[in-house]
Amino acid sequence: MSHHLFLLSPSDTPIYSLTHYSSKPAQSTSYPLASNLPTWSTSAFAGTLTALSGASSVTQSHHVPGGGVKMGGGQDRHVVQMIANASLDNIEDVMRRENAMYLKSVDKFNEWTVSAFVTPGNVKFVLLHDQAKNDEGIRAFFHDVWELYVKTMLNPFHTAHTVIRSAAFDARVRASAKKNL
Amino acid sequence: MQQPHSRFSVLSNSSLSSADLLSPTGSSRFSLPSAPSINATLGQTRQRPNIYDRNLNKTRSSEVSASAFAFLFSEIVQYTQKRVSGINDLERRLNILGYRVGMRVLELMTWRAESSSKAPKREIRFLPALMSIHTQVWRAVFGRPADAIEKSVENEDEYMIIDNDPLPERHISVPRDMSQLSCSSFTAGIVEAVLDGLGFPARVTAHNTPTQQYPSRTTILIKLEKSVLEREEIVK
Repeated sequence: MSHHLFLLSPSDTPIYSLTHYSSKPAQSTSYPLASNLPTWSTSAFAGTLTALSGASSVTQSHHVPGGGVKMGGGQDRHVVQMIANASLDNIEDVMRRENAMYLKSVDKFNEWTVSAFVTPGNVKFVLLHDQAKNDEGIRAFFHDVWELYVKTMLNPFHTAHTVIRSAAFDARVRASAKKNL
Repeated sequence: MQQPHSRFSVLSNSSLSSADLLSPTGSSRFSLPSAPSINATLGQTRQRPNIYDRNLNKTRSSEVSASAFAFLFSEIVQYTQKRVSGINDLERRLNILGYRVGMRVLELMTWRAESSSKAPKREIRFLPALMSIHTQVWRAVFGRPADAIEKSVENEDEYMIIDNDPLPERHISVPRDMSQLSCSSFTAGIVEAVLDGLGFPARVTAHNTPTQQYPSRTTILIKLEKSVLEREEIVK
């Protein structure tokens, strides 16, 4: 079971990203890429094709839960990034309507659920995960990341668009992910 | 062989002592984290606590003295004035400096107010956001709420926040030939950053509006972008 976190600046450029593999027991065993490919696929590249064809019907699969092709556990980096990007429209819709910072399950794509957290300064934390029942853990995780982000922001050399490279920040986000996710 | 070596050590000694002179209390007074590089090992030992080890609420009761602020602000204005070509330029630069403060004020202020809550909230409507600038932001930055909020009669996209005795201008007397200058452009920058962060892009400027009773009375004029009004119209 994996989690993907992206921090996005107010202009939607990524300033930090993290992939976290949960040590907690997985709800479903994740299959290797090849076993999820349709029978006609012969090359590893076909996995990407499957993912992309799923992407073109993103609105469809949004309304039909469980619909669409299950692809390689979604482990492909570019697919993950694409899903995160695709969810931004939904996040912006919801954040205009609701005044909560933590937006749970704003978007779904195949087995992925997208949760988000919007800070008052319009920085978005986007988390891709495949757990439906860990709301409390995700909320606590976002809360920790928020505190760490505020501390980063207080550094006078940091601007809203600076990529976060601090090893201390990274270590703390990982520690919180380990605890909560 | 010995000669250059000893000279070198003399040099390095003198440079060390001058560094000591520059920072009499040692390096601990700087709030920089110890600048970790990407390749630094995570488990390395640190001599002093970095920014992530500090408590964000600890400073709630300790405030910066007004004279220290006045001194720093006077240096800011002097520094900026040497590098600009006119009053407009000077105000614009003060506004930019204020913007950098404002975006931090917004994040930190909201964190202090909301982090204890289970479901932290943001402002999504304009008028409550304006009210929170008038009270919370002013209280966080200047220690007291602003004096009034007004809505322009002629233009529906203009709002004003009025401060009868703005803290940054308390020790500033503007020369007569620069009478248009308002150093509260710095404050305007703070307001602009807060509005921007909350999703209400606006052009914010500061203007002197003295009265008999309050000679340094200042109006912070907020001119909202069209998109903000259209959105407010939709969610109404």
